[in-house]
Order: sequence, then C-alpha cells, then structure tokens
Amino acid sequence: MIPIFDYILLIFLIVAAVISLKVKDLLSASMVFGIYSFLICLLWAEMGAVDVAFTEAAVGAGVSAVFLIATVYNTKRRSSD
Amino acid sequence: MKWIALIAVTLTGSLLLFGVGDFPEWGDPHSPANQGPKLKSGEQVSKAVSQDFLTETYEVTKVPNVVTAVLADYRGYDTMFETVVVFAAGLAIFAILRVFGDGSDTPPMRAVEDDTFVEGDHSRIIIGTTCKLLIPIIQLFALYVIAHGHYSPGGGFQGGVIMGASFILLAIARDLKSALDWFSEKNFMTLASVGILIYAGLGVLCQFFERNFLDYGALKVFMISSDHPEQMARSYSMLGVEIGVAFTVTAIMFAIYANLSSRGELKEGL
Amino acid sequence: MENAIVIISMVLICFGLLFFLGSAVGIQRFPDFYTRMHAAGKGDTLSSLLVILGFAVFQIHDLEFSGKWISENWVTLLVMLKLLAICAFIMITSPTSTHALMDAGWEDGIEPVLKKDKPNNALKEDQG
Repeated sequence: MIPIFDYILLIFLIVAAVISLKVKDLLSASMVFGIYSFLICLLWAEMGAVDVAFTEAAVGAGVSAVFLIATVYNTKRRSSD
Repeated sequence: MKWIALIAVTLTGSLLLFGVGDFPEWGDPHSPANQGPKLKSGEQVSKAVSQDFLTETYEVTKVPNVVTAVLADYRGYDTMFETVVVFAAGLAIFAILRVFGDGSDTPPMRAVEDDTFVEGDHSRIIIGTTCKLLIPIIQLFALYVIAHGHYSPGGGFQGGVIMGASFILLAIARDLKSALDWFSEKNFMTLASVGILIYAGLGVLCQFFERNFLDYGALKVFMISSDHPEQMARSYSMLGVEIGVAFTVTAIMFAIYANLSSRGELKEGL
Repeated sequence: MENAIVIISMVLICFGLLFFLGSAVGIQRFPDFYTRMHAAGKGDTLSSLLVILGFAVFQIHDLEFSGKWISENWVTLLVMLKLLAICAFIMITSPTSTHALMDAGWEDGIEPVLKKDKPNNALKEDQG
C-alpha cells in the first residue's frame, strides 16, 4: 500500500462522485459514474482485495454503464434537478 | 427539503469519518479481527475466524484461493441467495418492461430508425470485423475466469458478467436481432432458471446422503479414485456451484440489456 | 546485461508517458471533436503499447539463465505472454473505438472546423 497513491485515488473518487451527482446531462453523469467505478476498482486492487476489484471492473465499469446508457437513451437525457 | 437532506448527509458523513479514527491500522496483525475475541483480563476466548480460514482452508477443501472457498463453501447460503437476488432483478425488469404483441399501442418516444445489420454494410464493416475477432476471445476468457476461480481471482459472478458482456457487445455492434438469434429469449430465461436449479440441486443432493443442505462433503461417494474424497468433493462441488452462478448471471445480464435497450419489445436495440 | 534491460524498459515507459502527455495536451488544445479524437486515439494507443511493452521487457529481469532452465522461468514467460496479449488487444480495440466514436459524431451532425478562406470545401459540398 502506497499512501500517496491512495490519497490521489481518494481525491479523484470524491471529485468523480460529486461531478456525477451535479452534472445535468444524464449521459455524462453515467460516464462519470463509470469512471468512479473504475477508480474504486483501482483502490481495491491496490489494497489487495483482487476478487472484489475484478467484480467491480466487470460489473461496475463494464456492464452497469451500458445499462445506464441504455436507460438514458430510452428516457429523458436531461436531469430535472 | 434539499437543505435538510444536505445537513443529514453531512452529519452522517462526519460521524462516519470520526469513527474511522478508531480503526486499527491497515493490515495490523494485532487488530481484533486478526486476534480473535479477548476477555478484559487479556485471556483469549477463541482463535480468530480469519486465521482459521487462512490456515485450514487448503487442508479442508484443497482450494488455494481462500476467497472462492469462503464464497462458495463456507457461505454457500449467502452466495445462493445472492444469485437469487440477481435472478429476481432480471425477473423484475422482465415483469416491468416486457411488452408482448406488436407494441403499436405504445407510441415510440424517439424516432425509430432502421437498425438492422446487413452483411457487407460498409459503414459498419470495421466494427463488425473487430467484434467478429474479439467476441470468441472474450467468451474464452470468460470460461477461463469461471473455471480458474479456484486458483486465481475470478469465479461465477465475474465470468458470467464477462460472458453476458460479450453478447451485449454483439447486440451493440450489430443489432439486437442478431444477438437474439444466438441467444433467444426462451433460451436465456431457461438458462437463468437452470443456473439456480444447479446450485440448489447440489445442496439438495447433499441432503440425500444424510448431511446438511450445501454440505458438499456428503458427495464424497462420487469421488471414487481420489486420495482425499471429502476434500475433492468439496472442491468439485464449488466448481459446479460456480457454473450454476455463471449460467444465471450470463442470462440475466443479457436479459436486462435486451429489455432495457429495446423498451421491452426485443425488436431493435440501441 | 541487467542494467541494459532496466534502461530499455525505462526508456519505453518514459516515451509512453510522453505520448500520454501529448494526447492529454491535444485533447485540451485542439479546436473541435474530430481533431480531439485524433489526438486521443493515436496518442492513447501508442502510449499504452509502449508502457506495456516496457513492463514486458522488465520481466526479462526475473528470468534466470545461470545453469539449467528452472520452472519459475515458465511463470515469467507466461506473464510476458499475457502482457503481449494485452498489447495485441489494445492494438485492435483502441483504434476501433476511436473509429466508432468518430462515426457516431459524424452521424450526429457535428461540424468539423474548416479553414475560413476556403468556404466551398469538399466535405461541406458532400454533406449538402
């Protein structure tokens, strides 16, 4: 575990989480959410939980982004709040 | 209302951050999780569970990857109902979104464009060729992840998701129809049920040999030519369980994508 | 010998990082969608390839040639093979994804930035 790498990842995580909540365009929000999943996957892999990181990389960054984009494509693209 | 929510979230977050300060160091060997419960006088009550898992798993199950052993053997119930949760999510999506009939009573929200893939369509020839190259490799990798979960990170959930993602890639790159030709709705709903049936069936099979539900050691009668019949029975039952999980997850991932992207009509996707 | 391997892998990784920097600057500075995708696609592919090749070269460090062939060498070779497989994968997928994004942008009607003094550009006439 490298502390500086950890802190950089955590800062990026918070930034990605806030952006994905704040962005009005839902397509962008789902993409930033994919970035968030990928960052948390890196954090887990770096802490030694490789199984969890693998699951997160497959589910969070891969498939759930596709689901979110499919949903946005079939509904409204802009968020109301 | 927004301000109340913000205050509540901030309070909870600062409380959690305050609690983090009392945690032991990362990887501390003297933390309670690694030492086991102690009395106030310092007397050891019992050994820690994590040490038990790390030291005894290989002797008991002959599986080098402790995570897989804990997931599929020690906590078989937990994983079984996790799979049921995935299955229930797929069923919920199916029940909410699926539209039968020609769908003429629900007007399309967006303009329906012709999405069918024609062989030799020049505008998509690069993407089509790349997918033709990649999809077999992705599926091979998924099978490797499922079968190699005993020795390396991986297992039924991850492999199933990768396998489902290969079908989703086919549906995105060409069209939903050609993906459904490979993997029709009847097939994937059947496969999802069969996966859970394999899992629960292995558990019930253990009960026929007068052991508990999901106590895989009962299947040692099938391990005729092995030196460690009980351990190898547990190891191979874990493989069977992972295959069941992979069936369900593959089918449900593709089912969710197909229903979401085509608004439940399974005609044209993204 | 060992120093040479370390130096080669470091040079590869440093060149990869340089190209990463170039593609990042390109995404920031180029004027429109197509040129940005050009910078991102090309720079990303080459820099990922160089970095991973650097890792693969660094793995030679773990091989042991003294005396006879030992079984740990197979593990090292397998790691190198996996890294090279990732290289091949990136070489196929990254240009394809760039092409797909460009194609989607073109179909969506994003106008490329053209030179001002040539109003009747061939692309514009073609588009109608």
